[in-house]
Amino acid sequence: MSADEEPGLYVESTIIMTTVRVVAPFVLTFALFIMFHGADTPGGGFQGGVIAGSVVMMLAFAYGIDSTRQWLDVRVVAALASGGVLVFAGIGLGAIALGGNFLQYNEYLPYYAKASKYGIELVELGIGGIVAAVAIGLFFLLAAGFGHVVGEGER
Amino acid sequence: MTPVEWAIVGLALLGAFFGGVAAIGIVRMPDIYTRAHAASKSDTLGAVLTIGAAALALESGLSIIKAVFLVVFMFITNPTAAHAIARAADDQGIEPWTTEDDS
Repeated sequence: MSADEEPGLYVESTIIMTTVRVVAPFVLTFALFIMFHGADTPGGGFQGGVIAGSVVMMLAFAYGIDSTRQWLDVRVVAALASGGVLVFAGIGLGAIALGGNFLQYNEYLPYYAKASKYGIELVELGIGGIVAAVAIGLFFLLAAGFGHVVGEGER
Repeated sequence: MTPVEWAIVGLALLGAFFGGVAAIGIVRMPDIYTRAHAASKSDTLGAVLTIGAAALALESGLSIIKAVFLVVFMFITNPTAAHAIARAADDQGIEPWTTEDDS
C-alpha cells in the first residue's frame, strides 16, 4: 500500500470485493432489463450493452485486471461481438431474402405471429452483445497501458 | 396540503440542501481525500432523500419498489466508489493534506 512498493502489484480490498459480489448480478439483470425495454420505453441495446460491459470493469476494479483477463478470455469477447453482428445481420438480411426491406420484421409474420415484437428484441440483444464486447475490449486495451504494444496472440 | 405532500416537499428540500453541500465541498476542499469525503457522505444522503421524496410522490406500486431499490443500491455503491477512489489515490502515493501545508 505504501508508495515505495512495487508498482502494478494489486492488493484486493475486502470492501470493494464484497460490494461487487453483491451488486454484479443486479447490474447484469438491469442490463438485460434495459436491453429488452428498448422497443417501448427509454433504453435499448446500446445503453444495456454498456451497462453489461461495466460489470466486467467492476470485476476488474475489485479483483485486479490480470485475474479478470484470465477469467474472461479475449476470444470470448470477440465471439460476443461477432455473434451480435451475426444476429443483427441475419435478422436484417433474412427480411430481404423474404422479399422485404432490411429489418422489415413483418416479412416474418407468416412464419411467426409475434415476429415484429421478438424481432426487435433479438436485434436489441445483438446490439447489446456488440456494445458490451466492444466496451470490454476497449477497457482491456486501455488497461494494458499506452507504452506497451500488444502483439499478435500476446493478450 | 396534506401531511404526505409536506413530507415530499421537506425531503426534496433536504435532499437539494445536502446535494448543494456536496457540490460546495468538492469545489472548496483542499485535496482528493477530503473531496471524496464530501462527495460520498453528503451526496449519498442528498440523493437518498430526493429519491425518497420521489417514492412518496409516485402513484403506482412498481415505481415505488424501483425507487426503494435505487435507495438501497445508492447506499451500497456510492460509499464504495469513494472508498475505491481514496484507496487508488493512496496506492498512487498521494499524501493527505494537513494543516502544515496551508501556510
